[in-house]
Amino acid sequence: MDDYTVGVLTNIGLISFIALSAYLLILAGEMSFGQQGFFGVGAYVAGVATAMYGIPLPVAAAMAMGAGAAAAFLVGLPTLRLRGLYFAMATLAAAEMLRIVFELIHFQREIEGDPVGPDGTQGFRGIRWVFENGVEPEGYLAMVWGLLFGVMVLFLLVERSKLGTTLRMVGEDPELARMLGVHVERFKLGVVAAAGALAALGGALYAHHNTYIEPRNFDIMLGVHSLAYALIGGLGTAFGPLLGVLVDIGVLEGSRVFQGYRMIVFGGLVAILLVFRPRGLLDEKVVHWLKARFISS
Amino acid sequence: MVKSAIYLVLILSASPAFAQRVQGQLACKPTATDFIYECTIRLARGGQPLSGAALTVGADMPSMPMAHNVKPVKAKPGKAPGEYEAKLDLEMLGEWAVKLRLAGPVKDQLILHYDFDEKGAQPVIRSGRPLRK
Amino acid sequence: MIFDLIQNTFDGLAMGASYALLAVGFTLVFGVLRRVNLSYGPAIMFGCYSATWVSLSFHSNVFSLLGITVLGSVLAGTYVERLCFAPHRQGSAIAAMVASFALWMQFEEVVTLVMPKHLYDFPPMFDGESLAFGPLSLRVEALVMLACALSICYALHRMLFRSRFGLAVRAVIDAPVAAQLAGINVPRILLLVFLLASAIGGLAGWLIVSTHTQVTPMLGMWSTLKGLLAMMIGGLGSLPGAVIGGLALGVLEAHSQWFLGPQARDLIAYLLLFVLLAWRPRWMTTQSAS
Repeated sequence: MDDYTVGVLTNIGLISFIALSAYLLILAGEMSFGQQGFFGVGAYVAGVATAMYGIPLPVAAAMAMGAGAAAAFLVGLPTLRLRGLYFAMATLAAAEMLRIVFELIHFQREIEGDPVGPDGTQGFRGIRWVFENGVEPEGYLAMVWGLLFGVMVLFLLVERSKLGTTLRMVGEDPELARMLGVHVERFKLGVVAAAGALAALGGALYAHHNTYIEPRNFDIMLGVHSLAYALIGGLGTAFGPLLGVLVDIGVLEGSRVFQGYRMIVFGGLVAILLVFRPRGLLDEKVVHWLKARFISS
Repeated sequence: MVKSAIYLVLILSASPAFAQRVQGQLACKPTATDFIYECTIRLARGGQPLSGAALTVGADMPSMPMAHNVKPVKAKPGKAPGEYEAKLDLEMLGEWAVKLRLAGPVKDQLILHYDFDEKGAQPVIRSGRPLRK
Repeated sequence: MIFDLIQNTFDGLAMGASYALLAVGFTLVFGVLRRVNLSYGPAIMFGCYSATWVSLSFHSNVFSLLGITVLGSVLAGTYVERLCFAPHRQGSAIAAMVASFALWMQFEEVVTLVMPKHLYDFPPMFDGESLAFGPLSLRVEALVMLACALSICYALHRMLFRSRFGLAVRAVIDAPVAAQLAGINVPRILLLVFLLASAIGGLAGWLIVSTHTQVTPMLGMWSTLKGLLAMMIGGLGSLPGAVIGGLALGVLEAHSQWFLGPQARDLIAYLLLFVLLAWRPRWMTTQSAS
């Protein structure tokens, strides 16, 4: 497999993390324009851990997830009682604040005569864990998709369990959930933190794939894109967000026919698709149909 | 004392690229076709030009990092030692993060920011302010 | 020092006037549709780029470019309304907003395909010196922006309360079902309000680019963000709130930037929004359009 294909496939995997993060929140009934902030938190925390303190990647990734969950918790605590658009704007504001904080951080150490670390708008170069540990692009691809697979398994298990039903119920009809004894606020806070951790994991992996991150990587475009992928792919299953990412990056990128017009084509397709399928390609109806046809009762 | 010596040997043997980092520089000329540039890349390591590297050149836009994937091209060795040549096909003008990936014998990756316009590529000197109004 | 404060306040009010106009456009759409149009800024950008293209191809007067900007914004706005908001009128709000985001991507690509440079010059509104009041200087453009913001606000108010169209709009805002039952053509009102908002946005865009004398592709996202921020700071859904929010945002930014730099300027604006949303004072929850 040539380097380019490996790169595209890795990118698909990385973006799926943040798309799944947005999807999780949509299921809980919240629309977030801010998951990119936690993606960024994960990227910076993991990058600092490996490049500046020599912490191995698995530990750094775990630290990143913790940081992402904590940041999301702090954002969610004052804002979860906000409805719809208000919550979306609050998450947007939070993510932009995080991005500006990244622009202001200048924290470097000298390692072998070179300064290493986040340098404000100049970005954070030299996250070279893959080179220092001899990880080939194919190996990293396998690692990213291995983790993604694990996350998907978790999602599928949750969706079939009582937890999954509770999640969707909290999203669709919180009053009903409350009447059935679910502590809606605490539940949602848990979902927000989980989504933050998920996005942060994606960010950590992104930082080490790219070896360089800068605040501009984590702007609103990334956030709204991830929301779009979740919605387009479909809200019926965790495969939905993956499908959304695949459609955009995979098909249109790979075909190269649309070079230069990719966004025009993709944007038009999305708008038209949403007219006919407002809950995405793999929406709940389709998933139900597929399950009925292919999985015996 | 012995334990840390063994540990050091193990680390060093597991990370061959721990030695000095590669530095790079880019000079590009526009061609007759829009958005295609002929670029010369100079690589150096520890002050000496680095020849014989398997260099692949790609580019990305800082905002929405995976949206404008430019197909990476393998660079050919240039005229002088440490020089390589590649033709870059970008989709638009503006600031790009040029990705220089070295596959061997030295493995490393460099990201350089250049502003591409009709005349060529200028290195970006950030003033600490994002390109926003 | 006191003169710095006054100067900053003037500059802030001028910038704030453009934010106010952007916020008014957002509020009109939100008031009748209960949806946020993420393509609002990009449609304005389309208008500004159309005008820039015209100014580069023909010799034009900067005021005729105003007409082109408004026309371009209205055309783009129609496209957005028809594709993103009309089909989802009874349906999902997220779908409409994501669709509007998809069209944002389209506008950005179209604009950079036709005019690929990162920056284009736009003819200035006025070519002269700023006015001077002692140690303070006031740009003529700033006065024009303020005047426009205030007169648009007044005109909207008159329209909403003195015209049949305004009555219909208010009916749709307050009670859409009842309005439909009373015979008001709700989809047509929604389209017209959308177009009106786009036109106001076009005016705001022209004011901004002829003051800064440059056009960049960042204009789309920038206008959307500032308009949204101003609208929410002023209280979602209220027209006077939109204007006050815009002016307040402008002044806050001017002072923040002066004392603390550009990053702090943005940080403080977002922090203010976050704090306001989290603590939700009563005046922020007005939903009516006036």
